[in-house]
Order: sequence, then C-alpha cells, then structure tokens
Amino acid sequence: MSVQTDAERALVATSQLVKRYGSQTALDGVDLQVPVGSVYGLVGPNGSGKTTLLSILAGLRRPSAGRSEVRADPGRVALVPDTPRFDPWLTAWECVDLARHLTAPHLPGERVDAALTQTGLAEAADRRCGGFSRGMLQRLGLATAVVSDPELLLLDEPCSALDPAGRREVLDLVAGFRGRATVLFSSHVLGDVQEICDTVGVLRRGTLLFQGPLADLLHGHARAGYALRLRAPVEPVAALLARQPWVTDVDAAAPDLLHVGVSDTDDAERHLPRLLADAGARMVSLVPLQPDLESVFLELTR
Amino acid sequence: MTAEGMQRSGAGTVARRRPMSLWRLERLRLLRSRRLVVLLGVFTFFGLTGPMLARYMGELLERFGGGVTVTVPEPVPADGITQYLANSSQIGVLVVLVVAAGALAFDATPELAAFLRARTPVRRLLMPRYVLSVLAAGTAFTVGMLAAWYETQVLLGGLPVGAMLVGIGLSWLYLAFAVAVVAVASALTRSVLATVALSAGLLLTLPIVGVVEPLRRWLPSHLVGAPDALLRGAAAADYTMAALATAAATVGLLLAAVRMLRRREL
Repeated sequence: MSVQTDAERALVATSQLVKRYGSQTALDGVDLQVPVGSVYGLVGPNGSGKTTLLSILAGLRRPSAGRSEVRADPGRVALVPDTPRFDPWLTAWECVDLARHLTAPHLPGERVDAALTQTGLAEAADRRCGGFSRGMLQRLGLATAVVSDPELLLLDEPCSALDPAGRREVLDLVAGFRGRATVLFSSHVLGDVQEICDTVGVLRRGTLLFQGPLADLLHGHARAGYALRLRAPVEPVAALLARQPWVTDVDAAAPDLLHVGVSDTDDAERHLPRLLADAGARMVSLVPLQPDLESVFLELTR
Repeated sequence: MTAEGMQRSGAGTVARRRPMSLWRLERLRLLRSRRLVVLLGVFTFFGLTGPMLARYMGELLERFGGGVTVTVPEPVPADGITQYLANSSQIGVLVVLVVAAGALAFDATPELAAFLRARTPVRRLLMPRYVLSVLAAGTAFTVGMLAAWYETQVLLGGLPVGAMLVGIGLSWLYLAFAVAVVAVASALTRSVLATVALSAGLLLTLPIVGVVEPLRRWLPSHLVGAPDALLRGAAAADYTMAALATAAATVGLLLAAVRMLRRREL
C-alpha cells in the first residue's frame, strides 16, 4: 500500500518557487502546498508576494525559477483580483454569463442567476456595472468565479472593499466551499483568516515562514500569560510585576491593559492576586492570554 | 430563467437576455460605447462634404479669397472621391486606430485583463476584437464612400463602377492591415494612448519608406491612393504586389501579436 505524501495530496504545490522583477525578489524559494478541499489562508504584510504568488498559480505570470503545479482542470481555476474590473457597459448578468461561457459553457444559464443570488447581486443583475461601488464589483468578481463551479478558487483580498454585512456574506460563501472546492484566500484581515481557514501560510518578503494547520500555528506559539485590565495608571503595577521572578515580560498593550508573560502558572495563580491587592491596584479583569493569529503573525513577521 | 430568459429594464419594458460570447462582447463594445456611431459619423461626414468641397471650391475661394483671384480647374467626377479620400485617409484612419486600440489594448487595464486572460487563451481573445474592428472600420469607410459616390454623381457626374468597387476592396485591405498594426502595437505597449501613438507612427513611416521607388509598389501605403488612381485610369494590376504584400503582412502581424501577448505577463 502506498502512502500519499502532503505534496501528493495537495491540489496546488510549488517547489522552490522564485519570482524576480529586475533586482527585486518577490518570491524566494516558496514551497506551497494547498491540500485538496481546504480553505487556505495566505497572510503577509503589503509587498510580501501574495498577489504575485496567486498570479503565477492563475497562469498570468511565469516563475523565474522553481516549479508550480496546479492539479485542477484549467477551466475550473478561478481568480478574483482584489479590485475586479469589467467593461462598464456590460450588465452584471452579462459579466457573469461571459465568465460561464468562457469556462463552463456546458453549464445551464440558470447558473448565472444562482451565482448572482449567491453573491447578493440578484437585484442588480440588469444594471450596467459601470455604476457599481467597489464592494459590488468585488461581489461581481466572486459571482464570475463561482458560476463555473470552480475546483480551485484563488481569492486576492476578497473582502477588502466590503461593508461588515457584505464581509459576513462573503466569508460565509467562501467557508461554504470547504470540501466542495479548494480555496486559496489572501487577506490582510487576520480575523477573517482565523475564522474561515483551516490551513494558513505566512509570507514575508517572498519567504514562506510557516505553513500548516491553523491550530498547529496557534498552539506552537501559545505562551503562558494573562491579560490584566486595571484602572489607570498601570505603570507602577507593571514595574512591580517586572521584578517578580515568575514574570517573564510585561507589555502595556493599552493604557489600561497589561499583557503579563509568566514562566510558571502555579506561581502566578498563587502570587498574582496578593501582589495586586498589596499594590492597591484597581483590577477590572484578569483572563489567560489566548494566542490569536494576529499576535502570532506579528511575532513571526517582526 | 434560462440564459435567453427575460429581463425587465428600468423603464419597465421586457427585453430578452442573450447569451454572452467574445463576439457578442465586441458587438456590444461597438454599439454601447458608441464607437460604431463615431466611426460612421466621421466617415459619412467626410463622404458628404468631400464632393461638395470639390464642386464648390472655386466659388468658395472666389467669395472668401479677399480679392485674390485663384483659378481652379473645372472639377471632374474623380475630384469628389479624391477629397473624401484625403480626409478619410488621415483623420478617418486616426479614428479607426483609436477605436481599434480601445478594443485590442486589453492589457491596459490589468484587472480587466486578468478576468479574461485567466479564463481563455490570448488567440481566442484577439480574433473577435480584430475582426469586428476591421468590419466596423471597413463598413464606416464604405458608407462614407457610398455617400461621396452618390453626391459626386449628383454634383459632378458619374463614376466607373468597377474602379470604385476595386478601390473599396483595396481600402478594406489597407484598413485590415492598419488594425493588425494596432494589434502588434498593443502587444508592445500597455496603454491605449501609447498603442494609438505607436500605430500612427508605424503607419506614417510607410509612405516615407515608399519614397524609395522599388519598395513603393510593395508597401501597404501604396493602397491608400488606389481608389483615386483607379478612377483616373490606373490599372488594378498596378496594385497586385501591394495587395499581396499587405495581406501577408497582416497575417504576419496578427501571428506576431498573438505570440507577444501570450508571452507577456500581467
């Protein structure tokens, strides 16, 4: 019996992928593996190479070195750029039907209406998209992608122009693809990635710093500590805590909030309440620190 | 609802939704962005004003000449078409370049290009844009020519049908070449303006190269004066070499455009 490796199970796999623009290196030896059926979140600061990577996978750019493999039918790979644009004299229905015609002409025309309904554009189906807001264009971009029943969906910052309600709808839509299609989703909004992605990749300056299940990333960077909210001023308490042998670090996360790292939670649980009482601190709340993607991301990319 | 289902317009009337294709996309571009109207308007205007200018040039110069006496030879029927061709081969062709560049320079808007190029090969994208641009330009030229022909007939006298038809055919060939030049220019630049400027520059270079006599008869620019020369007694065979070279160059330019666009990254 043969055992499949991660690379063999991946719908998208790159090997030592390099992309250079003149003297600038946009991607530097990226080994990406996007598991079949996963919702993969690609996070990274501006200029980290996310858009370049998605463009290579969509076939719009060529790598300078390395290998890129997409094991999906080319007609069922859909890319949605962060600011989709269409000919302004086309209606929303015509844009989506054109996408259907180009990628899945065998699918019935009803799919166009379904895609517009799915993305909240049913009412605007017969309006020319030249008058659409950026948020509506982003929804239209998604409609042109979902109409062809994609096997691989490449989404570049799909929520960047949406209002909170629109963002919620798009996140639900993308999450709904889990198991039916493979989604590679780049975003600056780490909360969105944490909410819907099961696998993450952290890209910085063209280098993939981490790749794997989201739980592994968070667990691997979990640290013992507490979020301590006090009535101001917090500085005297911070100074007092910093002198304790069981405290590893104290960060003033906000004017009334201290993040206290500890080496031993037993010592912390035993001594922290008395220390605060002796200092006369007015405590509002004390909760254990939960690792979130944002803090892990900042730690990785610092 | 099917792809050919019904849609309700803003005015409350019901119209049919028609399935999209790259050919329909180009038809809509010409109609909805008014490009066809502009092309027809420009060439028809020249077609209507050319023979009139030829017929009344003497009177106009006499009236507005400020006392200077200018002797203008009595106009002949061919002069009506000459005047139309003088305008259509300059301003008219420039309008054709602008309209064709608007369709062919699809990489000018990267997000729009990403939508199309991630879904279909460049060759499939280019052909409808090229063919419909040529059809629109040729139709506009022909409508203008027919207007000029009719007005010449009324004001100056009849024109030989055979020479007119061959002249229109050779002009279509030149326009097909000009649009192919736009296709190549769009593959070499990344904006509509640069595409127009490069195309115009390349087309203007040809008559300069044509100063060298042996080359002149082979150049596409030789076809520009063909309708006029044919009306004045030139033989159609005089344009065979230029027509063949133009057809070959057009095919070569289109193949080069496809190759360059396919290799170009977004």
